[in-house]
Amino acid sequence: MTTHRTRTTFAILGLCLALILASCGIEPEDSPGSTSSVDPGDSGATDSAAPSQAAVGGGEPEDVLNFANWPLYIDEDDDGNRPTIDQFEEATGVDVTYTESIEDNNSFFGTIQPALAAGDDTGYDIIVMTDWMIGNMARLGYLEPLNVERDVPNFLENADAVYLDRSYDPGNIYSVPWQSGITGIGYNPELVDEEITSLAQLFDPELIEKYCGQIGMFIEMRDAMSLAMLYNGVTPSEATMEDAEAAQQTLLDQAPCVRDYYGNEYAQGLADGSLAITMAWSGDVFQLQLDNPDLQFVVPDEGGILWTDNMAIPKGAAHPNAALAMMDYVYDPEVAAQITEWVNYITPVPGAQEIILQHVADAEAEDDAETADYLRAVAESPLVFPTADMLDRLFSYKVLDEEEERAWNELFDEVVAG
Amino acid sequence: MPSWLRRHRGLVPYLFLVPGGLWLIAFFVIPLITVASVALQEGSLGTGYRLTFNFGIFPDAIARWDTQLLRSLQFGLIVTVLAMLIGYPMAYTIAFRGGRYKNILLLLVIMPFFTSFIIRTISWKFILADQGFVLGTLKDIGIVEPGFRLIATPVAVIAGITYNFLPFVVLPLYVALERIEPRLIEAANDLYASRFQAFIRVTLPLSISGVFAASLLSFIPAVGDYLNAELLGSRNETMIGNVIQRLYLVNNDYPQASALSLILMLGILVSVFVYRRVLRGQELTV
Repeated sequence: MTTHRTRTTFAILGLCLALILASCGIEPEDSPGSTSSVDPGDSGATDSAAPSQAAVGGGEPEDVLNFANWPLYIDEDDDGNRPTIDQFEEATGVDVTYTESIEDNNSFFGTIQPALAAGDDTGYDIIVMTDWMIGNMARLGYLEPLNVERDVPNFLENADAVYLDRSYDPGNIYSVPWQSGITGIGYNPELVDEEITSLAQLFDPELIEKYCGQIGMFIEMRDAMSLAMLYNGVTPSEATMEDAEAAQQTLLDQAPCVRDYYGNEYAQGLADGSLAITMAWSGDVFQLQLDNPDLQFVVPDEGGILWTDNMAIPKGAAHPNAALAMMDYVYDPEVAAQITEWVNYITPVPGAQEIILQHVADAEAEDDAETADYLRAVAESPLVFPTADMLDRLFSYKVLDEEEERAWNELFDEVVAG
Repeated sequence: MPSWLRRHRGLVPYLFLVPGGLWLIAFFVIPLITVASVALQEGSLGTGYRLTFNFGIFPDAIARWDTQLLRSLQFGLIVTVLAMLIGYPMAYTIAFRGGRYKNILLLLVIMPFFTSFIIRTISWKFILADQGFVLGTLKDIGIVEPGFRLIATPVAVIAGITYNFLPFVVLPLYVALERIEPRLIEAANDLYASRFQAFIRVTLPLSISGVFAASLLSFIPAVGDYLNAELLGSRNETMIGNVIQRLYLVNNDYPQASALSLILMLGILVSVFVYRRVLRGQELTV
């Protein structure tokens, strides 16, 4: 009797399980209405359709704006207010909700993807995503096309030419840069008795032998793979599958001497002397230099990566005009200078440098030597305002299609998980 | 009691199970089924996932991540043994020699929980940094080699996990040892058992339920742990938890991450059943 009942219970449970299993596929991004299965190869269809769509904007700013950005990526005063946002609100009357909700490109995309796939408003009017993710989202038809000539004139007027036509978004159809940074090599001269100028000093197993266990690498797949490609003499944005495999081999050869694959915490290792030579981001090293001026950042002879985080309007955003007003606002050199003075990344507005130097003079006139010294360090640092020579040696990431992304991830997973 | 209930008296125990049962269904069964379903889907975040009953994903995932799976089981085992070796004497001392300090000693065992274990693990990273307070000093005196390090080694990861789960071992052991009637040990001594024999023949068998509970409470979370490997380890200490985290959040490869989660659960279940056999059918109760 008992066994019989148990068996029935199991049968019912099993049936339920099968039913539930069958009903819970995750819906694709596919156009509304069509629920048929999706051919993975047809993502190109949205690609060709996108540019023909009319750009958003051309109207008066709406009352509110929801702005999602990365942590510590806009100026903040000592009371925790954000002067740039406050001034924008005052100037336009738009009520801005600014959230630091982006910690990572992929995981943030994971949170807004269901809304985008369903054709709903994500709740954000501006999101800030790294260049390759802009490329991905544009390909999937998840971004609103812009008309920068009409709606973001400050961008065309004030941005450096370098930012006008990048491979991930030719013609700035979907995005305008927020801030940029350089991926290169950081090192601690106290632990390294030679000048670091070349990627060989990071990758060549013989050259790094004596720093074994003190070499740092990034856990960011695109950064690590692209730097290995540059060492192999390959332009990352044109890399083929063979190049990716070669890059993996380079990374595997280097791995025995790598201490660890880091996210942001490599900066701690560089500061506390655990890392002698490491992949590094320019903005971090600039901030570390304020404490320890000896630390060095170099763009290697073979090249480095110029990555750019960009503002974009997700599909179906409720307040596109306010978003465009904000985009235009931060391209005012005064505003760009104010942000740069606080975040220390590379601003797309070269004119900000002059304004920061002006602020140096102001601070000196007020006898505020501390502020003046700090601002001068910002204005004169090649890590914040890179020299033309540095910019010449910088490359972009490749915008990967899904198949490539999966393959590259698989190659890189093998590197970071030994 | 309403009359319909009186007529079906047998239903009462089941009614008591309803809240707990609903809880389990909502927060265990449904998520588990979802994970199982995702594991059997194919596709990507961009093009969407389709349920294809791709059972091949399980052997694929095992073949791809066998090193990390085995390493996790191995680390879990070492941690459990270490925690037991440290925790049993601690619990024994508190239970039998604690006297009026028992409560204070127990409080001290729980004390670390007043701080988040992420913060505590990060502080180990600072304390044991290559040029930090401890190693820096030892290197300056010349006791250890200049190139010596603890962070980014298996020693650091295993020590970190042991440190984090030690209280989970001490508490159930303490409860089991506390309940032992001291007169039984006296009786053993009266019957000419040496103190060692009394421990082996009386105390240990009577505390075996505590040993079972304590080892499960350290083994299960230790195998799935990823934070210690993340903060204190390097690529050579990558555990399966780190792989799952990476697949879910970095690669957005939900199917493989789900498959690995299920494999991990199954691996732990099997280990627990084997272990239970070894301890001759002890129940998971204290």
